[in-house]
This record gives sequence, structure tokens and C-alpha cells, in this order.
Amino acid sequence: MIVMSGGYRQQPGGAGKTTRKDGKRVAGKQAFPPPGSGGSNPTMAPRDLDFIPEMVGGKEAQPAGAHVHDRARTGTSVGKPTALVDSNAKVTGQAWYGDDVRLANEVIGKILRSPHHYAKIKSIDTSKVEALPGVLAVATGADSPHQFGVLPVTKDEHAMAVEKVRHVGDLVACVAAVDEATAMEALNLFEVEYEVLEPVFDPKKGLEDADEPIHWRGKYHLARTNVQKRVFQEFGDRSLVEKPLASSHGKWKMAGVHHGFTEPHAVVAHWDPNGRLQLYTPQQVPHYTHRALATVLDVPMHQINVIRTFVGGGFGGKSDPFPHEMCAAILARKSGRPVRITFDREEVYWINRGRHPSHIEVKMTADEDARISGFDIDALIDGGGFASFGHVTSYYNGVLATAPYELGSFHYTGARVWTNKPASGAMRGHGAVNTRCAVEVGLDEMSEQMKVDPIDLRLANLLPPHSRTISGFRITSNGMREALEKVREGSDWDSKFRQMPLGKGLGIGCGFFISGSGLPIHWDPNRFPHATVHIQVDMDGGVTVHTGAADIGQGSTTAVAQVVSEVLALPLEMIHVRSHESDTSPVDLGSYSSRVTFMNANAAIRAALEIREQILAAAWEILGYHPNNLVLNDRRIYYKHDPAIGVSYLKALHKAQEDKGALIASGAYRSPPMGGVHKGAAAGLAPAYSFSAYVAEVDVDVETGIIKCTKVWAAHDCGKALNPLAVKGQIIGSCHMGLGQVLSEKMVYGRTGHLQNPNLLEYKIPSVHEMPHVVPIIVESCDPEGPFGAKEAGEGPLLPILPAVVNAVYDAIGIRLRDLPLTPDVVFKGIEKAMKAADVDDPLDLESPRVTHGDLQPVLVKRAAEHKTRDQARQRSEDTSQYVNGVLFGFDPNIPLEDQVEGWRTATEPDPEQLAELGLAGKAWLKKEQRHMGGDE
Amino acid sequence: MMLMPPFTLHHPTTVEAACELAAELMAAGESFDWVAGGTDLLPNYKWHINTKPHVISLARIEGTSTISANELGCMIRLADMTEANGVHPVIVQAASKVASSLIRTNATLGGNLCLDTRCFWYNQGEDWRRSIDWCHKADCGTGADCRVIPNQNTLCVATYQGDIAPTLMVLGASVHLIGPNGARTLPIDAFYQLDGMKKNVLEEGEFLLKVTLPDDAAKRTGSYQKLRVRDTWDFPEAGVAASWIEGDPASLVIATTALESIPRCHPDEVAAIFADGWNGAASVKALSSAMQKSVKPVNNTALPPRYRKSMVRVLTKRAIQGLLE
Repeated sequence: MIVMSGGYRQQPGGAGKTTRKDGKRVAGKQAFPPPGSGGSNPTMAPRDLDFIPEMVGGKEAQPAGAHVHDRARTGTSVGKPTALVDSNAKVTGQAWYGDDVRLANEVIGKILRSPHHYAKIKSIDTSKVEALPGVLAVATGADSPHQFGVLPVTKDEHAMAVEKVRHVGDLVACVAAVDEATAMEALNLFEVEYEVLEPVFDPKKGLEDADEPIHWRGKYHLARTNVQKRVFQEFGDRSLVEKPLASSHGKWKMAGVHHGFTEPHAVVAHWDPNGRLQLYTPQQVPHYTHRALATVLDVPMHQINVIRTFVGGGFGGKSDPFPHEMCAAILARKSGRPVRITFDREEVYWINRGRHPSHIEVKMTADEDARISGFDIDALIDGGGFASFGHVTSYYNGVLATAPYELGSFHYTGARVWTNKPASGAMRGHGAVNTRCAVEVGLDEMSEQMKVDPIDLRLANLLPPHSRTISGFRITSNGMREALEKVREGSDWDSKFRQMPLGKGLGIGCGFFISGSGLPIHWDPNRFPHATVHIQVDMDGGVTVHTGAADIGQGSTTAVAQVVSEVLALPLEMIHVRSHESDTSPVDLGSYSSRVTFMNANAAIRAALEIREQILAAAWEILGYHPNNLVLNDRRIYYKHDPAIGVSYLKALHKAQEDKGALIASGAYRSPPMGGVHKGAAAGLAPAYSFSAYVAEVDVDVETGIIKCTKVWAAHDCGKALNPLAVKGQIIGSCHMGLGQVLSEKMVYGRTGHLQNPNLLEYKIPSVHEMPHVVPIIVESCDPEGPFGAKEAGEGPLLPILPAVVNAVYDAIGIRLRDLPLTPDVVFKGIEKAMKAADVDDPLDLESPRVTHGDLQPVLVKRAAEHKTRDQARQRSEDTSQYVNGVLFGFDPNIPLEDQVEGWRTATEPDPEQLAELGLAGKAWLKKEQRHMGGDE
Repeated sequence: MMLMPPFTLHHPTTVEAACELAAELMAAGESFDWVAGGTDLLPNYKWHINTKPHVISLARIEGTSTISANELGCMIRLADMTEANGVHPVIVQAASKVASSLIRTNATLGGNLCLDTRCFWYNQGEDWRRSIDWCHKADCGTGADCRVIPNQNTLCVATYQGDIAPTLMVLGASVHLIGPNGARTLPIDAFYQLDGMKKNVLEEGEFLLKVTLPDDAAKRTGSYQKLRVRDTWDFPEAGVAASWIEGDPASLVIATTALESIPRCHPDEVAAIFADGWNGAASVKALSSAMQKSVKPVNNTALPPRYRKSMVRVLTKRAIQGLLE
């Protein structure tokens, strides 16, 4: 360990002259040789002790304790606000997005789409299209018989409809022509004969048997319904919910929302002279596209190169392999020319994959000690025409509500149904957002019944760090408590909540989200890593990093560059991340489930450490000091007790390269084995979880029902902010997106089942005028397995804004609304109802809610204070005792709960006697699979 | 990508040349549209809605950008309609709430007044409209029914969503039209004509040249209230304009927009209130309720008609609040 103090005899790069006027050296002062290894600054920068952890001699505070990566810190990049490395390309307009790709001789592809919600295709006559001058290729479903889908368990898509179309806008055929006008003209020449079928729009109807289910899953098909996936999960002791002190029962209706990314989908496909497919596409998950292309085109994966262009926003909406990508490849193969397909906005909405329209019912209870004795969640989600990520969404709607609170019992029934609408899929906060909103509003309601402060109710019921949720998720670092405390303080909660005049309100909401899905869906995590990163350092000293992580604007390239720069103590400009091509990138699962920073940065650190070891070994040879005694700092390696004894990075590198040339290293990340063994135990499993708490302040115009969110205090536990600038950006961006869902955005399906607003004028994304002032607050709990302690910050921050606003609206006008979005008409309807109930004429005469704390309040405050001490000890690993959900209820964490509590159970199927009382989605359990009905083999 | 269908763009430089050109095209049996700022017409063209082979631009016609307290040329940009240019504050209030600042720098007064009526069954792409088998307003030769109120094939109920017309109405403005058959001037109330397809009294070849305001408009004070989901971009979901001569409640004039196929004045509702004598806050309340009852919005914009109707009461109340001061 080296501590540089002012009195040290030789300051690297320090103040004062090193030579006298007569040219002789000042005693004890020596000019360091210029590092001479690139970078804009010729002299070595002093060690930045502010960014070196205190555990290894720096000044960076570590309230959460030491971290395994502390020794890899050099104070170079990590923790410093850093402009994204691709920002110059973006702000100067040089970033190449999907539609910026221009290849020689390219032609334009257009897609013929279904005008019907649901129909059988009886015939397609393409003869007139083919006869049109300028048309170079035509393709239909017959050209693409193979099915694909993002999840291996639910491959239900074709490049173009085979047999049936499943929603208006579903792909029927495609054509490539010399220019766009010809291609558009060609679309009008297709002659398609349809047999129109009875469509299903209402997800409730999807639970019933149909004459012609939208998909058929053979022996696994549930009766003749349109249910794609059903889930049942029950944990804990259900008897605890009897005789509750407080309870909340909310039925929610949440509209579907779309990601609203700026860049529409675009793709260019080109079969190169060697017959390999080069496909340019703005993809979050190029690897899945790679796999799906191989299946659909009947070409081995090594004959396909997927090139990820810059991505103009994804948010989950560009993470499926898409049929238009297949269409472009098929048309390019047929025409022998590069084919470009770019969507208009309407097509973007038709391919959708946005958040599921949902019916969610949440019942919850609290016992006499204000402990949460049970969550009972039922979620019926509307999947639209295809499965997409829906299998996972069906689980996430329940299981991601099992934390951050300690629960007496948890009961979840979920069902996802196919309907004749554009397919729903994954969207920022995947599956967790809607239920989280319902749960947090329920807690608010219960705290009101118990006459306690909702923040104190939460603080007294949190799971501690290093614990297990009721469903068996392993919680490691946990900054929930700190986040709640910070927003309470920042918002001046205690002097505002329930004390503001009518129309002004304050509300709290929390969030909990996965930091990387623990299960790589295409392979066994025990055999293959989640992420791999390759590093190559050649004679120029520049470091080339190959990763498959897809930068979709979130800054993953920057994060990877930062950690490599940190480990090797090189300026960021010397790190070159190459991540665009599948030919050169190691296989990576891409940007979804908030996995990139956690998994890729971890892999990158491992690879960088290997390089560092080689360079230090070379420095050892040169300097004669063991690497344990060497310090890496800004392009120079020196003896820690005498910085004058050192070698430039480049010299050490060249030494290391002797006889073998460029240094090459590979690092991988795989998650530790974790989780339970019950069916669906892998859903929601993550190596770490993020936590967040927001307080929102709103102004409600009681006469019009228009809500304005004016200020948000947003605390998010991201473990360690590798780049605080990016984390704050994610928090503010999440607020914007979540506000859209809670206040104005919805996919409107009209009387005839058509999507009425497939454009950015009528799909109401909040503008800058609607954007509140967001105060981003970063909480750092330092995750033991995260790269330098980091966890996700891309999705979790979205969750709390919805309930915070809904709760704030209640604080403002005393009305609980459960119909999202809270458009003015929804709010106004609630106000009218409240006026009737209160028998007032003028909405200005309504009363806003007030609270007087009851006897339970001091009990909660005391418990929260005790838990705070407990949590601090656990976070710093001073207390390493076992902790599982249930300890709050007096159970022993060292004995399986099943063995000590009668009635404690883990179930993934309902008992026969439960069937009668299941909720809306639970009704799917009344049906039998075909194989149990003796049908379909 | 949205590709606009090809059309021939004409650039006459005088009113006479424009009229002549229109007459020529009419004689040749060629259909055409006028274009000013293009912020309304061109998006519709991109959606292939009622496109024409010829488009005549008014942009280079001399003398169409006059701007003063009493005269507003058709080509003045909404962004230029500021009090500093002598425009009446109520008009300024409405103009500054139109769409976004970006659009206001291009959009014109004439275009706003002649705005095409809007409907979410109509303002859609071609594929989308094909999927509903077209609609009455853009039936593509199929004779399709209205999708908002089915089984009536005579009326188009698309909504007029311009902001500025009601303010001109309450200030007593006149519109000056000109075409191959000569010029005419009429009060702006008479300019709009029921039916979402007909929209206004403009005959083929005729265009709106300018708007004039009477001298006593300057004496009037008032307000324009706009209901919308977002404070930018959005068309009005309901709009109420009111003006009066200070100290003289009986001079009150109220007009609404974005609630029906045309903007209109509501003299009867106002008269009914004054028939009972002006009674301050109570009259404001009564008039607000009467206004709410007098409008009949339909379900073809972002917010449901029942809500928009209810909001007319609130908007009216807010628009005439100044009367109580």
C-alpha cells in the first residue's frame, strides 16, 4: 500500500522544479521520464486518491466495506462522471444507425401487411407483382417455413405468415424493388385471398375456449383456450393472512405502452461474394437474431455476420429477432442485391413488443405488528399475437414483488393470453413495473389504515442485505433503507406529507429489479459463461476490447472501456471497444434484463487483470521488484516505495510482448449457482438486485383532472456508480418513461380492435413541459459480486415513479385511482365520484386526506432503527449470520421453514380446493392441458 | 419510410397569377390543393390522404404577409403573431398555444383557419385505413361508411381542431376570399360550414387571402382556454375563446373549437344568460353549464367526448373569469 503525502521525497508529477538554475538536479527531486505511451497528456497524472478506495490506501469512502476489486482500482476512470465514448459520433451526426447504412447497388424492401385481425390465408398470387418492372424479388411465407422466437421454449413466429395472420399489420409477404416508389406500387399488386376468422381482443376472453386458438401448442395446449402461459406460485404460511389488522384490495387496469424509441426499425441484408450473409440491424441482442437467422435461412451460424449498427433507443423493443430482418435476408438472397427495409412509425407500433396491457389484482394484509403477512397477486396479461418474451413476463409480474419487503406469505397466479393485437414483449422494467405499482399503492393504503407513515412502514419491513426472499432469491447488497432515508430527507417528507392543500400531494414508491438474468436462456449457466470479453494489446499500446455487449445508448461500451482503463491505469482514449460485429465479438446475450454492466464489466475486469499480470511480470523483470510492490498509474509502473524507480507502460508492454507479439486475454463471467428448485425458480433469479425509492410531488387541477408532476426525488441503489453521469441520466430518463406510462401513454385499441394511435402525435409521450425537476440521488451499496461493486441502473429506476405519482395523487385529492394511465378523463371521473360521495358541488370543496399517527407508529420507528443497525452490520459483513425471509415473523433462519412452521409451503400448482377461489388469471388453472384430456397425441 | 406521392408544385407570385393558375387547372379537369406552411397538408400527403396531382404554394405571393392590429395576411407565420406586431392579445394567446414552437415558425394563419378536420379513423397511414376498409372522408372510391357514427353515410363528423378561429370569431373578424370568380368578404362565423369534409365555404379555386378585424376589436379584452394532454404538440381537445368590452358584460362573445366539425360562436347561450340579467359569479356558473350542454363532441380525438364536453364548463368559466374582476 502506498500513501502519498506532501512530505514524500519524490512526488510523481508533483509541484516544484526538479533542476536548479545551473542545470543540476535538485536533491530528492527527479523528473520522471515522459510515459511516451500515448494519451493526450505527455506527463503522468498524479494518482487520484479520491478515487482509490480507503481499504487500499485511497480516500474514497467505503461505508459498505471492502470489495474484491479494490486492488484493481487505480483511480483512473471508475466513479468519475464520464461522457459516453460514442457521444462525439452522436452529437456530430456521424453515428450510423440502421437506416444510415448504404451499400452499393442496394434495393428497397417493403412488407405487405395483413388488413385483418385474424384470418386464414387461402392463397397469395404474386404474378402481377413479379411482372412489375423494377421488382427484383418477391417472398411469402412459403419461403420461410421455419419457426423462430426469442425464447427457445416458445418459437411461434415466422418471417411471413404461414397459414394465418394474427393481427392487423402482421407480415404477409414482401417485395424488393429498385426504389421505394416501385416497391410501394408493388404492394398494391399482391392478390391475397383471406378467410376471416373471429378475432379475440379482450384478454379475459382469451381464457375461454375458442373455435380457432391463435396458436396451437399440441399436447401442451391448454384446452382450446388462448392461454400462452400460466403460473402459480405460493410460498409461506397462508394462515398468517387471517385476521389482518389492515388490508388492501386493488383491482388495476393498466394499458399497454410502447417503448417510443426514436429510431424506427431498419435493416440491411447483403450476401457477400463468398455467400455469407452480412446483416446490419440496430439490435439489442444481435446474438438471438444470429441464431434465428440461421434457423430461418437454413444457413449455419458461421456463415452469417450480424452487424449491430448504432441503436437509436431500444428499451426492450429491439431485443427480439424480428421477421423483417428475415425478410430482408430472404429478399437479398433472391435478388442478389443488398436489401434495405426501414419501418415507418406505424410499422413500429405493429411489431410492438411493448409492455403488456394488464389486469392486475393485489390483495395484501398486515398483522398487528404491522408486518406484511401476505401478498396475493393475480396478473392477467395481454400478449397480443405472439409469445415474444411473454413466458418470462408471466413470471416477473409476480416474483419480482417478493422483495424488498419481508413477507409472511406470497401467492401469485398469472396468465398470459394471445389476442389478435400486435405482440407485447419486454420493455424497460420488464414485467415488474405494473405489479410494483399495485403493490406500492397497496402499502400506502395499509399504512393509512394503520395510521402510520408509509415510509416508516417500509423501513420496518425491509429484507436486510445478504438474505433470501420468500421465493428463494439471493439478496446480496441492499441499499433500500438508505434510498428511503435519502428521499425522505430530500423531499422534506415529514413536513409535507398529508399536510399540503387540496391539489398538492407527495407520494412514495419503491422499486426492486434484477441486475442481470441469472439464466442464459440458450445454454446451461454451469457450463458456459454469460459473457466473454477479449482484450488485445499490440505494440502501439492501444487496448482493443472485443465484446458482444450491445450499446443501445445506455453506455455499455463506455462502462466496458472504463473498467479496462481502470485496471490498466490507461486513459480512456487508449481503450478501443469493438462490439459491432458477430464475426469479431465473443458471443454475448446482449442488452436486456439489465445484465450488461454487471456481466460484461465483470468479464472485462477479468480479462484486463490478465493483461495487467503480464505487464507487471514484465515490469518485474525490468525493475526487479515483485508485482506486489509495483503501482500502476497513468501509463507508468513504479516501485511503490520509490516512484522514481519505474518503467513506462509502453516499455513494460514491449517487454511482455517479446517472443509472442500482441498480448491477448479473455475474461468471462458466470453467475454463481443460486435459487430454489421449484418450477420457475430461475425466473427473477439474478446475481444481484437493484433497489430504489422515489418521492414524487404533484399538482392536480381538481377541476380538469390534469396532473402535473412537479418534482421527483429519485434515489437508486446501483451498487457503485462506475459513471455517475450515466447513472443520473438513466434515473432521469427512467422518470420520463415511467411518467409517460402513469400519466399519458397508452396504446389505444378502439371499438373495432384497431390500434388507434400508432403515431407519435397521438401516442402521448410526455414533452419537456411535462417533465418534472428530477433530483437524482445515487446510493452505493457496493455489491460484492458486481464489477467494482456496481449493479444495474437502466431499468430499476423506472419502477418507483408510477406508484410515487399514484400515491401523490391520493395525497393531493384523496382519490385512489387504479386505471393507468391517469389521463385527465380518468382523474376527472374519480373526482366526480368523490364529489358525489362527499355531496359537494364544486370540486374545490373536496377535502384532501390528513393523518394522525396511531400507536403503531412509534413501534415501527423503533423497529426500523433496530433494523438499521442490523443492516449496517450485515452490509459490512460484520454479521454474516444466515438470514431468510421469515425471521421477522420469529422463525429460525438455520432450519428450513417447512420444518418449523406447519403450513409453510412452496407450491407451483394450486391444490384442488384452491381452484374455486383463484383470481382472474388464476382461472387458467381450471383448464387442462390437451395431453391430460387425451387430445393431440 | 413515408414517401410522399409525386405532385407538381406551382409557385405563383401574384394573387392574379394564382387565380389564373387555379382557373387553368380547373379547366383542364386537374385537381389541386393550396399550400401555405405545409404543416397540415404535407403530413396528410405522407399518409396518402386525399392527395392531388397539383399543389399551388401561396408562399411567394406578394402582399400575403401583412400584419397589423386590423389586418392579418394568410401567409403570416404563427410565430410572428405577437403583441409586438400589433396582434390582439387574445389571438396571440391562441397562436402561442398552437402545436410546438418548431411548427409555429412554419405554420401560417391561413393554414390554421383552413385546417383539415381531424379524426383518428382518418389521420392514419394507408395500410391502416385499408384495414378499416376506409372511411367516409377518404373512401378511396368505395363509398365507405363513417367509422365514428356508423350507419349514416351523409355526414362527416371529423373535428375541427384549429386554435385561432374562435378568437377571431369573438373579435368580430372578417375573412377575405379570392378565386377565379372574384373576391368576397364575409364574417368569419359564416366562413365555416358544417360537415367535416366540406369544412368551409371555400369554393374550388378559391383561397383565404387575409383576415381583417374591426377597429373596436382593440377595445375588447378576453381569453382563450385550451384543453390538451401535453403542453406542446397537441391539437386542442376543446377550446373556448371569449371577449368583452371591459366594464360591459353584455358585450360578451363566446366561441368554441375542437368540439365539433366547425368552430362556432354561441350567441344563444350568452343571450339566454343576459335575458335573466347579469348576476356576476352566478351568471358565470350558469353560462358555463349552458355552454357545456350546447356542444356535441364525438369520439374521434385523444380524450373521450364526455370528458371534453364536461371541460367546456371549466374552460368557459376560466375564459370569462376576467368579467368578475
